[in-house]
Amino acid sequence: MQSDLKALKIDEGELETLSGLDVNDLFVGGIFGGTYRPSVWRDSKKLFFFCLTEISVFVLILVFTLPIGFILTQNPTPGMGEIQRALQFLTINLSVAGVLMLGWNFYLWNKQKSLASVAKLLDEVDKYNEVIKAVEIIDKLATVGHLPANLINREEVLEALRVTRESLVCALMTEKILRQHKSFIARRHELFANIENNLLALRTLEVNSQANEYGRLLNEALEIGMSVYKEVKKLQN
Amino acid sequence: MNYFTVLITLLRDRENFVQEIHHQARLKTKITALLISSSIFLAIYGGIIGAFASPLQVFASAIKLPALYLITLIICLPTLYFFNAFFGSKQTIGQNLALLLTAISITAVLLFSFAPVTLFFLITIRNYQFFILLNVLIFALTGFIGISYLYQIMRPESEQLELASVPLMEHQAEHDFVVVDADQKPKKSHKNLAPEVKTRTNILRFWLGLYAFVGCQLAWTLRPFFGAPGQAFELFRPREGNFYLSVIQSLIEILMN
Repeated sequence: MQSDLKALKIDEGELETLSGLDVNDLFVGGIFGGTYRPSVWRDSKKLFFFCLTEISVFVLILVFTLPIGFILTQNPTPGMGEIQRALQFLTINLSVAGVLMLGWNFYLWNKQKSLASVAKLLDEVDKYNEVIKAVEIIDKLATVGHLPANLINREEVLEALRVTRESLVCALMTEKILRQHKSFIARRHELFANIENNLLALRTLEVNSQANEYGRLLNEALEIGMSVYKEVKKLQN
Repeated sequence: MNYFTVLITLLRDRENFVQEIHHQARLKTKITALLISSSIFLAIYGGIIGAFASPLQVFASAIKLPALYLITLIICLPTLYFFNAFFGSKQTIGQNLALLLTAISITAVLLFSFAPVTLFFLITIRNYQFFILLNVLIFALTGFIGISYLYQIMRPESEQLELASVPLMEHQAEHDFVVVDADQKPKKSHKNLAPEVKTRTNILRFWLGLYAFVGCQLAWTLRPFFGAPGQAFELFRPREGNFYLSVIQSLIEILMN
């Protein structure tokens, strides 16, 4: 990846700083204490890993609830065989782990409401990073000569990405501030105005570049910008 | 999966990984990933040692071995955290947990790396005493490496060094819009910190002893892990005596004969 594209990419570490939450492909705010990202249900690969995570957490709960089964099976009824004791232990442990698992899933579901905005913005960040990936691929194709270099208005696309990045950063910061300090914060108006200006800049870029190879990517950048704008407007209200 | 990526990052770049923990970077992700990956590795090794006796023992040991390491950690964690906090440590309980999990994960990975060797001897030699001895050596070696690593990364000196290594300006730039806690600055001179550091180093040594003490007793309580050949499956052996009494009794028996 070229250094200019690398600098534009928003990685997980930066997302953590901007949103104040641990972020990965599946969860926002971490497995324990956060919630799953809505995109989990739309992507089969993510859904598969989410199911694996559920199994792993279940095993982990089983490990940590072992003392409960151990204590409750310490005084077996007379005549009870070792296999029956093991079954009793298993029943107790699986029941406790099952209840805790249900509780954890309910917590995830409940927490989703409070983190809906940041989850939506993170989906936009994913889209933005995908656009960067697309630019990288086009760059590589152009390098090996599959695409004529003059067909690509690279500078304009990078400018669009820079503006989009700024909007995303502003939106994530606004969301973080509003989440952490739900009362009035003067700075949010400034950030919101910044996003509006960025959206205008993106629209201008899109008009200029409709005819070239990067039109589609610019359009995607504009769509991300629009989503960010809508999300921040929602937060404002 | 993402959890194993975190573990691989730990193995490849331990210094940076620990530094990130000292600066609370992606702490929750690290804790979760280390918890899950170390449990899986320990469960696999537990299953292998349980395979010496019976299929039921495989499942029992696969749950017991991660429980042994992780429950010991949970039992001993508050002691370490509160004692350290009392003697001036700025680390959170999450950071303490992450550092301890780092050592347990290293132990788990090393145990897992011995799994083919253990499996080989399990298949080729059906000698209970040899199998026990082999595993005692493996557990001792991996445990020693894990504990030595933990001692290195938990020493108060390393905490001070890690925190002092990043200039404050860089720290502030990373946390724009976040109020930087003035207490996090290494404002005391190294000379002034010396008695504090010495006390905390002693606390750490004491805690490592406590961790081993609790771990041995929990292992005794959760036994059998191997399951003696020719004996019926036992989920847990009767709760009689303790690990230390048993060791003393064994020593007396050896000396009397």
